[in-house]
Amino acid sequence: MTLLSVAGTDVTVALRDGETILGGLHRAGYSARTGCLRGGCGICKVDLVEGTIGYAERVADTVLTPRERADGVILICRAVPEADAVIAPRADFRLRCVAPFLAALARR
Amino acid sequence: MTVLRMGYVHARVTDLARAKDHYANTLGLYPTLETDDKIYFKGWDEWDHHSVVLEEGGVGAVKFGFKVDSAADLDGIEKRAQQFGDCTVTRMSKGENLEVSDGLRVYLGCIDHTFEFYHSMTEVGLEVGTHNPDAFPRHLIGIGAPMLDHALLIGEDIDTAARFFMEVTGFYTTERAQTDLSDKSQNIAYWLSSMQKVHDIALLKGENGKLHHFAFQMRDWNDILHAADIFSMDGVPIDIGPTRHGITRGETIYFFDPAGNRNETFAGGYTSYRDRPTIIWTADQLAKGIFYHARELKESFTAVYT
Repeated sequence: MTLLSVAGTDVTVALRDGETILGGLHRAGYSARTGCLRGGCGICKVDLVEGTIGYAERVADTVLTPRERADGVILICRAVPEADAVIAPRADFRLRCVAPFLAALARR
Repeated sequence: MTVLRMGYVHARVTDLARAKDHYANTLGLYPTLETDDKIYFKGWDEWDHHSVVLEEGGVGAVKFGFKVDSAADLDGIEKRAQQFGDCTVTRMSKGENLEVSDGLRVYLGCIDHTFEFYHSMTEVGLEVGTHNPDAFPRHLIGIGAPMLDHALLIGEDIDTAARFFMEVTGFYTTERAQTDLSDKSQNIAYWLSSMQKVHDIALLKGENGKLHHFAFQMRDWNDILHAADIFSMDGVPIDIGPTRHGITRGETIYFFDPAGNRNETFAGGYTSYRDRPTIIWTADQLAKGIFYHARELKESFTAVYT
């Protein structure tokens, strides 16, 4: 189990094994700006400020360039944290709680 | 000058095995050839060897193929393309695309997309045969998509690209979206047809070289709903739908393949004619034009492409 936190918010989600960042956020009742959900459009990029992540699926270099990868840019729809992780949302990340009861469940 | 239809889409995918599972098991296309880095598919109601080519590495479109009626049509397209100017035209030889005849390759720099025109492809036949056929194959897989329908491409100078398709390849504009009805209006999108489908290709103003989606022709609204059910079963991300378009009147679902390329299932739409008046949509009504029921644009539809 790894913990995902969103910098600048009080959002912390305990991720299940193999769960993507977005999968954990959705399960915990949160919504964020996303696109194809397949790692192909790059809309859901955020910066990883702590921790490490891996991808269970291939992500094209045209979507996430080697430079971006080196700089810690990740796709939340595909990224699976390998250790407790903190992500820094970008201005248009639009994180919001859409299901408070799920957020309460995830906090227990 | 007769372009019969969009015959194939050649797209990139990040993982060929994942893609094969989606296109074969969820969409129900028939794999007809596999090489080290490509898979070729056809739908059950198609007779030519393939309508989809997937190549491993990256995402987005490689090129689009249009089938013409005869080899002589290629000469006309070549001549008019050279007269047209704003494009690069080269002859391609038989076999350069597996199972495809010789033809023409046209690169339109104005939208950064490549198109190929060919006169024949190895015929493998309808899945129901041609002699006293049944209405559909008994054991379709997934949504059982019958055939490729159209593609929507994105590019900067769609006016020049649309002019190419009309002046060089004989397409006509079934519908167009523009900023307003004034003399200074700018075009936002074109829907172009070569025969009687409501569109074979659509062009949207935006980033050069991008693919918005390619679509498969479904029989009717029932099949669209059924397709959406299958997508939920298979964990396919649905972008929009099932719903109806104001533009083309088509019934639709937008969804994403495993690499993030947008696919569409498209049914209905009206039969078009070359002399049918062009339908105009203005920007203030564009949301209704695109999503006839929600009447609100969704960012994932307008800002997401490969």
